[in-house]
Amino acid sequence: MTLRTLFIGMDGATFSVLDLLTSRTDPAGAVMPFLSKVFRDGARAKLRSTPNPLTPPAWVSLMTGRTPGHHGVYDFIRAEERNDDVFFTLYDSRDCRVETIWSIASRQGRRVAALNFPFTAPPPKDLNGFMVPGFVPWRHLRRNTAPADLYDRLKQIPDFNAQELAWDFEQEKQAMNELSDDDRENWVRYHLPREQQWYRIADFLLTSESPDLMAVMFDGVDKLQHQAWAYLDPTCSHEGRGEYHQRMRELCMAYFRQLDGFIEKLVTAAGPGVQVFMASDHGFTGSTEVVRINAWLAEKGWLKWQDVPDTEEGRRREDSMFAYLDWKETVAYCRTPSSNGIHIRVARRPGDSGIRPEDYESTRARLIRDLEELKDAATGDRIISEIHTREQVFPGAAMEDAPDLLLVLRDCGFVSIKNRLPVVERRPEVVGTHHPDGVFIGWGPGISAGATLARRNIVDVGATLLYSLGLDVPSDFEGKVPPSLFTQEHLAAHPITIGAATALAAGQADPADGMGEDEKAKILAQLQLLGYME
Amino acid sequence: MTATLKRATPEETVIAVVDDLIQDWGLDLDGGIGAATRVVADLQFASVDIIQLCVALEQTYERKFRFQDLLMKDGSYVGDLTLAQFAQFVQSRLADA
Repeated sequence: MTLRTLFIGMDGATFSVLDLLTSRTDPAGAVMPFLSKVFRDGARAKLRSTPNPLTPPAWVSLMTGRTPGHHGVYDFIRAEERNDDVFFTLYDSRDCRVETIWSIASRQGRRVAALNFPFTAPPPKDLNGFMVPGFVPWRHLRRNTAPADLYDRLKQIPDFNAQELAWDFEQEKQAMNELSDDDRENWVRYHLPREQQWYRIADFLLTSESPDLMAVMFDGVDKLQHQAWAYLDPTCSHEGRGEYHQRMRELCMAYFRQLDGFIEKLVTAAGPGVQVFMASDHGFTGSTEVVRINAWLAEKGWLKWQDVPDTEEGRRREDSMFAYLDWKETVAYCRTPSSNGIHIRVARRPGDSGIRPEDYESTRARLIRDLEELKDAATGDRIISEIHTREQVFPGAAMEDAPDLLLVLRDCGFVSIKNRLPVVERRPEVVGTHHPDGVFIGWGPGISAGATLARRNIVDVGATLLYSLGLDVPSDFEGKVPPSLFTQEHLAAHPITIGAATALAAGQADPADGMGEDEKAKILAQLQLLGYME
Repeated sequence: MTATLKRATPEETVIAVVDDLIQDWGLDLDGGIGAATRVVADLQFASVDIIQLCVALEQTYERKFRFQDLLMKDGSYVGDLTLAQFAQFVQSRLADA
């Protein structure tokens, strides 16, 4: 096997920060000198994220070449409404309704290594290669690592530490909270050795196995920027800001310096014949205000808070990442802060709580008007700058799982779902939030040197990686290979070809799997009516 | 599902899956685990561990079980469960199929 393609994911990387870190105007030189070289000799484009620029839908779109309305992953947390209850759990790879590039490449004989990508656990059965999933706690890494003997091989890597490497649920919750100065500093320090663990695994597999596609994702970029945006913000001067500010800024620079070193070492180990691509799932910017969207919906009579007992469990529920409401009295609500979406409760069966199906359109129109009314008291400007219906932004076979409305706040922030007032409050300090424009970078043989492309879409990355592997782009991919990313000579020698459609995702092999007998019977009856079955 | 697990009872399977799941956790378990073992009190499961156990069981049996019916009662998440309760739930779902 010979490595053809190296893909480096950088969660939340944004050109507004990277351009400064690669600039050589600083007397001390660029913080990321190798990336500076890549920018000079390679091609780049802004990369438009998914409608809600969030890690789960965005990385899954990157890995599938499909938009969320087709792949069906919208958030970290998946909810199932059951009459007067809502059951919350986590999305996993089986919830993705379409095939990933890892499976597409595997079934065509390519050997892949995918490290730290979200929603790759549990790994696909048809994988030809290696997978260590991201966003999985260390206690579950062994079972979710493929092939079965890989975890024990990784333990032989000097200084391998699964606890340092893996996702820590409690630590991750901090990314969304306000931290003390000490905790913020520790948060940044925590990511330095963590990224080193992922680099070591990538280096180990790259040199010992040389897969056709080596893909590794560094997610510390996102984590740092959430909590340390004030020390990176490209719109601010960082001179004379005090000792703590300078220390934090230098710590952030140390992180990016280390990341640049990992990129250089991986690219060097990959060899001169390899095409290198880098991308992020979304960009970053600053959020200036808290918007308590469920508090606004409560004011407008759309939802009713659940009484929270003054107990330990009650406090846990109130601090949790999902809404705690009186479901019988709730018509519209936001489930999680990360969703930026509003769900309308529709009664599916007689006696269920929620609106009647025939009232859906009029209810949604009234809800939109109420959301448009949320305005800045001082300026009269709308707080929610865009309100999209799911038909507009999530068309596809998985649209029924999408929020009914997707909100875009005027500062690109994520909503709060807490039962607190005021509804809109200025933050004491700007915090990092997701911007819809991430990065897409190409470098190496056949890549246009020094080219800046028009903005591309995140679904284009998967198509580009398959093309780089010498494979057809599946006909049902929404993503396209950007021709201007490559030289004319390369395109002439390697034409972009569209091939057969993707196969069903492994977890979707039996759509009736897990359904009750009554539901299966209904589906079969519908299929019979449509003439698909005897 | 392996041939060995096909022959095993749901209780044996649940215990085997949990045994595999916790092998690196460093738990001090006198006498190992059994049907009466409680996932929270005895194995220190957090909510994310319970989700992972559900995924592991669904993978083992190659079908989905809708564990929400086990994990949620009267609008609240249950506090703890024994491995026997998991096994009984799996058994009932298999019987429904």
